[in-house]
Amino acid sequence: MKDYVYDGSFDGLLTAIFYAYQDKDRVKIVKAADYIPHLLNIKISVSTETDKADRVYNSIYSKLSYDTLSNIYHLYLSDIPDVENVILDYIKLCFKYSDTINLAKNNDTIRMVDKYKRRAYGEAHLFKGLVRFKEIAPLIFYSQIEPDHNILPLIIDHFKRRFSDQHFIIHDLKRQYAIIYNLKEAYLRDLSVEEGNQLSHSSESDPFESLFKSFYQSITIEERHNERQQRSYMPKRYWKHLVEM
Amino acid sequence: MTIQEKLEILTGAAKYDVSCSSSGSKRSSKGSELGSVSSGGICHTFTPDGRCVSLLKILLTNYCIYDCAYCANRKSNDINRAAFTIDEVVELTIHFYRRNYIEGLFLSSAVFKNANHTMEMLTSVIQKLRTDKGFGGYIHVKAIPGASQELINEAGLYADRMSVNIELPSDRSLKLLAPDKNKEDIFKPMKQISTNILNYQEEHRKYKKTPIYVPGGQSTQLIIGATPENDLDILSLSQKLYDKYDLKRVYYSAYIPVNTASNLPDIKNPPTLREHRLYQGDWLLRKYGFKAHELLNEQKPDFDINFDPKTNWALNNLSLFPVEINQAPYGVLLRVPGIGVRSAQKIASARRIAPLNYLDLKKLGVVLKRAQYFITCNTKYYGSVDLDEEKIRTVLKPQIDLNEADNPYEQLNLFDRLSDSSWKPKLLLPLALQIPSKLLLAEDCLTSVTGEL
Ligand code: SF4
Repeated sequence: MKDYVYDGSFDGLLTAIFYAYQDKDRVKIVKAADYIPHLLNIKISVSTETDKADRVYNSIYSKLSYDTLSNIYHLYLSDIPDVENVILDYIKLCFKYSDTINLAKNNDTIRMVDKYKRRAYGEAHLFKGLVRFKEIAPLIFYSQIEPDHNILPLIIDHFKRRFSDQHFIIHDLKRQYAIIYNLKEAYLRDLSVEEGNQLSHSSESDPFESLFKSFYQSITIEERHNERQQRSYMPKRYWKHLVEM
Repeated sequence: MTIQEKLEILTGAAKYDVSCSSSGSKRSSKGSELGSVSSGGICHTFTPDGRCVSLLKILLTNYCIYDCAYCANRKSNDINRAAFTIDEVVELTIHFYRRNYIEGLFLSSAVFKNANHTMEMLTSVIQKLRTDKGFGGYIHVKAIPGASQELINEAGLYADRMSVNIELPSDRSLKLLAPDKNKEDIFKPMKQISTNILNYQEEHRKYKKTPIYVPGGQSTQLIIGATPENDLDILSLSQKLYDKYDLKRVYYSAYIPVNTASNLPDIKNPPTLREHRLYQGDWLLRKYGFKAHELLNEQKPDFDINFDPKTNWALNNLSLFPVEINQAPYGVLLRVPGIGVRSAQKIASARRIAPLNYLDLKKLGVVLKRAQYFITCNTKYYGSVDLDEEKIRTVLKPQIDLNEADNPYEQLNLFDRLSDSSWKPKLLLPLALQIPSKLLLAEDCLTSVTGEL
């Protein structure tokens, strides 16, 4: 078995696919950060080559479809362990049976694709609601999140559209990077946990936090207690960054 | 009074209005304005009662000149009263919105002075938000029954959604419990809003500059179990509202007693399972092509709470079954218990590649527990019992009689049930420490929200 180890970027993944796809041996693609050496496996380090990545990208786009390409990108963002190999299987399947294989919702690989994609989309949608901004300076807002999936690229447009007249930062503490919006453009850049904590402690507590807490407590209907349902929609692991909890 | 105290009182007074959806409208900010509306609807948090919080849902005031029997704010009640100023509501909305706590504002009010004055105040708030503050978030505003046509027209220009709560499903019940209101006062604004929506749409097609009136449509709420109407009365009313007034949603709210009065039922236990079945029935009207009269009839005017409405219907129409998975048209698949919109779409998609076998169905999200009795797969029937109404009823019946659990006049002690070892609920592992909501007794308790029936 050969382990193709890549740097974690999307282009890196496409480069790894370029090589792994042609390999006749049994292969596995794995992110450098997750890689655990195995005695019997051969390690092949892949450094990102944009021309190779572009070739894979373009051949998926032109020979399969935009939808399939977009599925692959969303699978990548799902950041689920071993998703790289689902992606490789998916690409092989599509090239073997043509793009219409996507209709076969009972096929195990297609089901996996649908499931992972839904998870990433689902969490991104949830976080459009769960991001909590703290006003750290007049009209400058900061938020910390720890999502399971790599959702910042999926929510950037939404937040940019909605809060176009305020500065904001949405910080993914797990992946140590953030959306930064400066009234002109929104972009992604690395941001460490320490830098984040400095930002968030730079100001007093926000008076609207306690008002929102009161609102939250007053809107609850005691007669209809149903915490199971609450947790199924809003799992406990997300509560840490919610001011009302 | 501090803003915090006002917020507590006027949120508590608004909480029994169940609708909190922010969906169905679309608005994006132009240039540097604040706010957008996404058509899917976004929940910002969930309360311990399991409900989605999307909007800042408050009353402008709970001072009321009326005395509706079922309402906590009626004038004869001795409760804390408060009133927001217009600016207070505007500021709260903007500040909450900027922190991404909410999708927007849901503003309602008790009736103070008179209907017109109240409607005028509500309109001032949303006018200020839209024009002075350039607020582009979601706004849902109540139309106050009895307010003038001009005021309702104006409010609709600023709102994404308007609603008039019918609350009581018949004129007789209205007379009994809300003597100050009448049917005309409620249906007049509803009709007016729906006509306006149509007229503006027509204009908008011709002149692109015409604004869209109430782009998120209108909704209403019905109280369940305070008055004697049966499920057929209620769903027929909903169907009329969808067909005639083009409502986006009808919400149902199990009656929770907040007052005691001789003309109110003495309820100990809000009929939440009945509410759950009505929501499921409502999905069947909106998304599955059913009519109220197919689901229920004069002989059986109420749902059997032990079965979801689709299973109920299928059992009463067993001659239409089984249907062949690989052949039945999409519309027929939709009527099979255990096949929701999503799985019906997947079946229609996957069988274009190759005929499906029985194992595939599970992979497509079909709930075989119910569906097995109503389908064949490549002409083979897989049901654990014959296609026979009584036999199927017996196997599908829940272990605990839900009709009993939903009896509003008795407090069901679930602890008794849980310590009875012969009854092991599937959903309650591990045995919850608090008394679980009885809604969990229905294994399909989430389907009234997802609509996958
Ligand atoms: S008019 Fe509205 S607020 Fe006033 S008592 Fe009736 S239901 Fe309650």
